[in-house]
Amino acid sequence: MKNEGRKETEQAKKPDKIKINENEGEKQSFEVDRRSVYRCVQCGTCRSVCPVFDVVGWESANTRGRMLIIKSLLEGMSPSEDMLPSLASCTTCGICAAKCPAGANPPEVVEAARAQLVKCGITTDAQKNLKSTIITYGNSFGETKDRKHWLSETERSKLPEKSDYVYFVGCFDSYRYPEFAKKTFGILQQFGVILLPDEQCCASPLLRTGFKEDAEKVMKHNLEQIRKVGAHTIITSCAGCYTTLKNNYPEELRVISLPEFLAEHLEELNLKKLDLTVTYHDPCHLGRHNKVYDAPRKVIQAISTLKEMKNIKENARCCGGGGGVRTGYPDISLELAKNRLQDVPEGVDYIVTSCPLCVRNLRDAGGNIEVIDIVELVTMAMV
Amino acid sequence: MNITAELQKIVGGRLSVSPSELYCYSSDASQVKGMPDYVVRPKSTDEVSRIVRLAYENEIPVTARGAGTGLAGGAVPVGGGIVLDMSGMNRVLEIDIDNIQVLVEPGVIQDALNEALKPYGFFFPPNPGSSAMCTIGGMIGYNASGMRCVKYGTTRHYVRDLEVVLADGTVIHTGSKMLKSAAGYDLTQLIVGSEGTLGIVTKASLKIAPLPKTRKLVIASFENAEVAGQAVVKTFSNGVIPSACEILDRVSLKVLKRYDPNLVLPSEGDVILFEVDGTENSAREAAEQIMKVCAPLALSIRLAESEKEMADIWAARKLVGAAVSRLDPTKSRIYVGEDVGVPIKKIPELLKRAQEIAEKFNLPAMKYGHIGDGNLHLALFIDVLNKDEWDRLNQAADLIHRTAIELGGTVSSEHGVGAARAEYMKAQWGPALEVMRAIKKVLDPKGILNPGKLGL
Repeated sequence: MKNEGRKETEQAKKPDKIKINENEGEKQSFEVDRRSVYRCVQCGTCRSVCPVFDVVGWESANTRGRMLIIKSLLEGMSPSEDMLPSLASCTTCGICAAKCPAGANPPEVVEAARAQLVKCGITTDAQKNLKSTIITYGNSFGETKDRKHWLSETERSKLPEKSDYVYFVGCFDSYRYPEFAKKTFGILQQFGVILLPDEQCCASPLLRTGFKEDAEKVMKHNLEQIRKVGAHTIITSCAGCYTTLKNNYPEELRVISLPEFLAEHLEELNLKKLDLTVTYHDPCHLGRHNKVYDAPRKVIQAISTLKEMKNIKENARCCGGGGGVRTGYPDISLELAKNRLQDVPEGVDYIVTSCPLCVRNLRDAGGNIEVIDIVELVTMAMV
Repeated sequence: MNITAELQKIVGGRLSVSPSELYCYSSDASQVKGMPDYVVRPKSTDEVSRIVRLAYENEIPVTARGAGTGLAGGAVPVGGGIVLDMSGMNRVLEIDIDNIQVLVEPGVIQDALNEALKPYGFFFPPNPGSSAMCTIGGMIGYNASGMRCVKYGTTRHYVRDLEVVLADGTVIHTGSKMLKSAAGYDLTQLIVGSEGTLGIVTKASLKIAPLPKTRKLVIASFENAEVAGQAVVKTFSNGVIPSACEILDRVSLKVLKRYDPNLVLPSEGDVILFEVDGTENSAREAAEQIMKVCAPLALSIRLAESEKEMADIWAARKLVGAAVSRLDPTKSRIYVGEDVGVPIKKIPELLKRAQEIAEKFNLPAMKYGHIGDGNLHLALFIDVLNKDEWDRLNQAADLIHRTAIELGGTVSSEHGVGAARAEYMKAQWGPALEVMRAIKKVLDPKGILNPGKLGL
């Protein structure tokens, strides 16, 4: 048998071992929990749900492929740039975890593996740029203007300095959708909610793409700000900020998503019923990751008619905007959004969601139905 | 010859030689491993034919792969070479209701095919647990079946015609749209179950069946698996053919309840799920008869209350095999010795001996499977980080395979032989294996098609 290419693959099979698994124990210095990786029995159930695989088609682009590559790292394969298209293209949407019969948690494993690759200096250019932008500017867009530019100077000067409640605006609403920020703050202000004096990126993009140490610095800054104003509760309208504040910041913080806050205060908001039929897109990091399914639906149903998408709640398909995929692989990200739009039912006036990343990606995917944030729907219903 | 460049000429960017990509194609759901040198994702019969021709001329192994959900390493390139990822050839080409058949490409996913057939009131009955992701091509390669084959038969009963690329790239058809033919050897049946060792399937005409009007589910529990096995034998001998007949031992029940805590399943004993289908009257009569026959042996017996309850039970049952970690996160289910089958009458004995083997090697075991056709899925689970447990596991698997052969059964009922069970082919087939080898030699003289499989 002639096997051109055999030589290369033999080399790939027997790489130089790196010191990633020298300690025996639950957690390796590789910082990926072996048990979690070996939970995957390679049954392939994730092939049927992974939205990136749906678009890309290569085995490495589905969860099983990613888990296999991470297994190979644990078993001695040298980390290499060759692994990036697989490991960096996961949106961490978590539908694989929801469907995995063995109970594996691949998004967690993928994030840990990305962190390991970062430690070894292996990142995509997009990852590197994103990191340096956040570290330099405190936001993910490299914006230099004031984070509260959407308020007038007078409004800014009158902001209270202390409160139990803080609205964490996030990079997206601050710089890309300031109208969302304005509307959200307009509502929250009535309840005594304030803004942080110097909010920075929540660190979600850093954590999702493996820059743990850098993320800690940013989180420390935000925590100091939160403590400074004396708040015990953080309200945010971004699903990425929400999951980060809730799951990566210290547990002492109480974190509420905007839909949860609105659902709790429906009566006080005095909303009128709109003659609108809308559908709702569950953001992965609000829904599947944190099980916030009912609150946005309660708000929507209080003011309009809800017609559900084809796949909802735990089965909702990802918009493609998360996990660093939008930045690193814009074409794949956009295809995911287009696929998600296929789930929109006939006869709806708006697609409502509660995450600015989802808003942007679904808007960019085209379609003839306007995509709006839940705060916009609520504002329409304000008497 | 620069094979990479030649393959690129055929498939363009649908070729990979990236080590990480190759690694992802070096295994399936079994323990068999083998690194390919190239992975290609063809889109047409012509591309497959040209790739295989190239491989033939250069004596490079070619292994076809669907979704890679196989449990015997059938899609693992143990001899290196080219992996043909057929999952991109996934079009349903024709739904021909008048002739009660469909024409599909091999990468069509089983559930997707049934979704396409549903509006017409038809279905493709073979339904492996992996139906959400497995491909028709893989099902043909392995002669896959699943829970309903006790009544509906296996994949081979549904294949009318195959378009096959032979080892030298020649394209043939093995059958036609005809219901029957008395002209010549039945090459269709030769290809079904041949695991890609005789040719690469590029199109398949499949018979389909009308969807039953209704289904009913009887859930019965028994003191132990042996008594459950006796109840199954008694049901069949009373003339009832269920559309599914599944055993779930008490460990499987615990796993199912962890997977879906809302399932209402018996709290004691080993359970048989009897499904019957047909018209409302015929299904009800069959269900009543099963309850009557089994009642004297059963600890409890009842009819599922709703279609939703049935659907939830089946959904959980489909995934039970991989769900062992739900019971103990330090244990993983390893697919070895997992697919033996024996004549129905020998089921109680197989169940008893399987339990003895698990105990002998001190391995926790879950017993479930298509007991209605004699197929037992013995799930042994171990701590994959413990070498001693691996050793005991492999010894237990070897013994279970030999036990099945001794009882007049098979080492694989539906998962296939691949490389995982190749060593048992001689013991199971005796001189008949030489006939298989002779056929292989004629159709694949250079031995390029999926070498290292089926004990050939």
